[in-house]
Amino acid sequence: MQRADLSLFIKGESCLHSVHPLSKLTYVLLTGVTVYCAPGGYLPAAILLGVNLLLAAISGILLQVWKFSWRTLLPLALFMIPIHGFLNPDNHTLLTSYHGVGLYLEGLVFAGRVLLQLAAVLCISLIFVFTTHPADLITSLTQAGLSASFAYILGSPLLLLPAMRERAKTIQDAQRARGLGSDGGVIKRIRSMAPLISPLILGAFAEIEQRAIALELRGFNSARTKTSLRVVPDSATQRAVRKLMLLVCLLLFIYKIVPYQYVSY
Amino acid sequence: MGVTEKFKKDFNTFTWVLISVAIVLNIAVGQLVSLLKLPIFLDSIGTVLVGVLAGPWAGGIAGLLTNLIWGVISSPVAAAFAPVAMVIGIVAGLCAKFGMFKNWWTAILAGLIITVFNSVVAVPIRLYMFGGITGSGADFAMAYLLALGKDLFGSVVVTVFTANVIDKVATAVLVWAIIKGLPEKASARFPRLVRA
Repeated sequence: MQRADLSLFIKGESCLHSVHPLSKLTYVLLTGVTVYCAPGGYLPAAILLGVNLLLAAISGILLQVWKFSWRTLLPLALFMIPIHGFLNPDNHTLLTSYHGVGLYLEGLVFAGRVLLQLAAVLCISLIFVFTTHPADLITSLTQAGLSASFAYILGSPLLLLPAMRERAKTIQDAQRARGLGSDGGVIKRIRSMAPLISPLILGAFAEIEQRAIALELRGFNSARTKTSLRVVPDSATQRAVRKLMLLVCLLLFIYKIVPYQYVSY
Repeated sequence: MGVTEKFKKDFNTFTWVLISVAIVLNIAVGQLVSLLKLPIFLDSIGTVLVGVLAGPWAGGIAGLLTNLIWGVISSPVAAAFAPVAMVIGIVAGLCAKFGMFKNWWTAILAGLIITVFNSVVAVPIRLYMFGGITGSGADFAMAYLLALGKDLFGSVVVTVFTANVIDKVATAVLVWAIIKGLPEKASARFPRLVRA
């Protein structure tokens, strides 16, 4: 059960769930590049946010995406809007003022654009994470030619993490029981850092050797291609679309970094 | 020896397991330290440790993957800062190459160098992707600096540097203490430790 809680994956039968993970990943990249490189100010970000919300609705995870984005974007917005609204160095157009503190248009527009860009990227990242099982992602990366060692370090932390969190909690409880203060002066708290961290790290080190031996015994270093239980379906169309999206990314990126005056005319 | 062969020699099974454990340590230590309510996260302690023990490339991979995996399991915002974590690992590895993790005071110096490179990569990401704001306590510093009349770039630079300097120095000193305290059996595994 613990494993299911660990990643954000939500089980489902929608069309987005069955899209190849690499296709989704390329679309995430495309969204990011478009939002930050495409011309037209906030317009591409707004359009993509709309499209991404539609995608979330189709795959039936709109509610989760909404809840999660809210939690991430609200604290950002709470800082972003006042700080830029009051203090952005480009501020000229005064909207309203109260006792000499003015709220300016430029800062608000700037904050709004940044938040919109972030919302578009966050939305599609969440859709990716919610509809892609980590194991499918790793399998598809291995099939695309990534080495087994990389697949291992991408996958094994997900399996190790619950055990390590459990151990961190045990250490915390044990040191508290022995009188480790989590309050008191700053010096005292700094001093309690070492007894909390070193057992966790030394304990983890003791395990590394065993794990390495266990892996080698199972043919970790073998050069032969490994077979996998999982099959991630892919299609020629998806492969073509992926290449097309990568091409668009490249073009947008070039458009962004090459100064116009040398290109036009 | 070609680059690929050198890479293969550096990356034996032991190194891969070390990296995978370090990724988990990065995430787990953060949870432990939050108990102390100090203004530090120590969420790159595993990355720095790998950099010192197994070299800059291994450290870079550990940092990069920590943030990408973090992105998959809990916060997509962390993934945006993956290049920063990668640079921390690489710089820590290079510092160790020049023997900067031998004494506590050179470790402090290494922490400062890591902070500088960390800021160089973090500032553009923070500035262009987040408009300088990430929704943490450091934003108050940002607001204060802007109110003093500094420009956006300058404020972000100062904020990022000050928010990281204590954290990275503490990380470097702790890593120095940990490799001093490693049992012989474990430290014999890392030929780089003779130099570090």
